[in-house]
Amino acid sequence: MEGTLEQHLEETMKSPAVVGVLCTDSQGLNLGCRGTLSDEHAGIISVLAQQAAKLTSDPTDTPVVCLESDSGNIMIQKHDSITVAVHKLLS
Amino acid sequence: MGCCYSSEAEASDQEEETKRLLEPAASPPNKVLNGAEQSYHNLPSARTDEQAMLSSILAKTAINIIDVSAADSQGMEQHEYMDRARQYSTRLAMLSNNLTHWKKLPLLPSLTNQPHQVLASDPVPFADLQQVSRAGLSPCGAPQGHILILEEQ
Repeated sequence: MEGTLEQHLEETMKSPAVVGVLCTDSQGLNLGCRGTLSDEHAGIISVLAQQAAKLTSDPTDTPVVCLESDSGNIMIQKHDSITVAVHKLLS
Repeated sequence: MGCCYSSEAEASDQEEETKRLLEPAASPPNKVLNGAEQSYHNLPSARTDEQAMLSSILAKTAINIIDVSAADSQGMEQHEYMDRARQYSTRLAMLSNNLTHWKKLPLLPSLTNQPHQVLASDPVPFADLQQVSRAGLSPCGAPQGHILILEEQ
């Protein structure tokens, strides 16, 4: 199981312009990360996704939190009990 | 009882208060109110009652008073006050330093200090959003066991 997640993180990092990826649970526990996103970001990413999800009444329509910057975007989405963040440079 | 109040029309509030305080122990015909101005308290027993009542009031008041002057007189001098004040401020400063250090949140990488450029740029490509969704869907099913393992540890 653990290997599956690690493999998935590696595959995501291979995507074009992706420089960071992080996977956290709903408590902010870092399940795995690569690149620019590290262990200390897990709590913030988890909370951002949870707070954003409270803005929608439809539980199946999970919002994507996107932090835009000069160089790229950090996109965060919650999937059930897991939150995934991807840091992608502008292409 | 009415005759006791007849000469003091201007002080009815004070009389009411005095009446409540003295009522339990005073005998009806010789009730003593504001003793110095009354002519009905010449009997020794009435004076004794009044003294006893006043003494009990004084004792109750003394019990309820917190004497802060006693605390001041326990050997605290000017330089000791200054030392303590300095000590407390030092400890507060240490605590606040620790708190700010503890509350300092890590920054997310490479955000902007020029928001107008970001806001004026094109919206986030839909393909990127889909990519995040895909990135989440795959680990969402797989690592449930992984989470359980971590929590058991």
